[in-house]
Amino acid sequence: MAKAFKNGARGITGSLASAERKLLRELFSDVITVLEERAQIHELPEDLDPLYALTGMRPESANLPEPSDAAVKRLLPDASDDQEVADEFRRLTEADLITEKISLLRRAQLLLETEKLVLSVSEAQGFARALNDVRLVLAERLNIQSEADSERIAQLVDAAKVTTSEEYLGLVYNLVSWVQDTLMQALMSAER
Amino acid sequence: MEIMTAMPDVISNPETVKAQDKAWRLIVWNDPVNLMNYVSYVFQSYFGFTRERADQLMLQVHNDGFCVVRSGSREAIESDVHAMHGFGLQATMTQEA
Repeated sequence: MAKAFKNGARGITGSLASAERKLLRELFSDVITVLEERAQIHELPEDLDPLYALTGMRPESANLPEPSDAAVKRLLPDASDDQEVADEFRRLTEADLITEKISLLRRAQLLLETEKLVLSVSEAQGFARALNDVRLVLAERLNIQSEADSERIAQLVDAAKVTTSEEYLGLVYNLVSWVQDTLMQALMSAER
Repeated sequence: MEIMTAMPDVISNPETVKAQDKAWRLIVWNDPVNLMNYVSYVFQSYFGFTRERADQLMLQVHNDGFCVVRSGSREAIESDVHAMHGFGLQATMTQEA
């Protein structure tokens, strides 16, 4: 069973059972896959001015379409209600955001090699961000749109009573939320 | 000895400020996923707000549905929005009317 994260002399420590670590690694992989799929549409057209290709900048004529997958939209949201501002922002910064997220998710996977986790503040911050991205994707799959939805899912705590795959996903969501919550408490106490 | 006086007010009349000079606002929106302690921690660690100020802004997001966290130049707010999206928070930018 998972043990809550604590802040102590050696850093931020916690422990996760082998099955829990395997599950989290798979969840991180799923989010990486979703982001990599999105990154494929970033490939620039072949007939593009080679100067643009050199800088990696997208020309104004190559705006990115909004993500069709709602989970991707939660990970890479619009930057403005003004469509023109949002399109420009997405065109110029989305590739960097995807790279940053994938790098944090990969680092989070590497932190799960051992049962006992000993994290520096910066590792714990990165781990919390990766867990948050997992929760954003799971929340979309569970159709959590309101506080009421989120409370309904929070009721699912007893694995013995779970019968559907949606309920199982709800249990997984609650485990990830719990891990992130205890990590945040440890980080907060490290700030003082 | 010459007495130093305040610099004359050279900031142009607000009415003549062009649209492109108007400040931009960073808005963080509520969502049912992000944990309250996570949002508050992001506000503390990224903006350098005190725990009290961060909690206050986080509660405003939670209760009112959104909160204007700060305002500044377009470049500064763009970089804030990018950072907030990196943390997984739903953030947008808007120019002051």
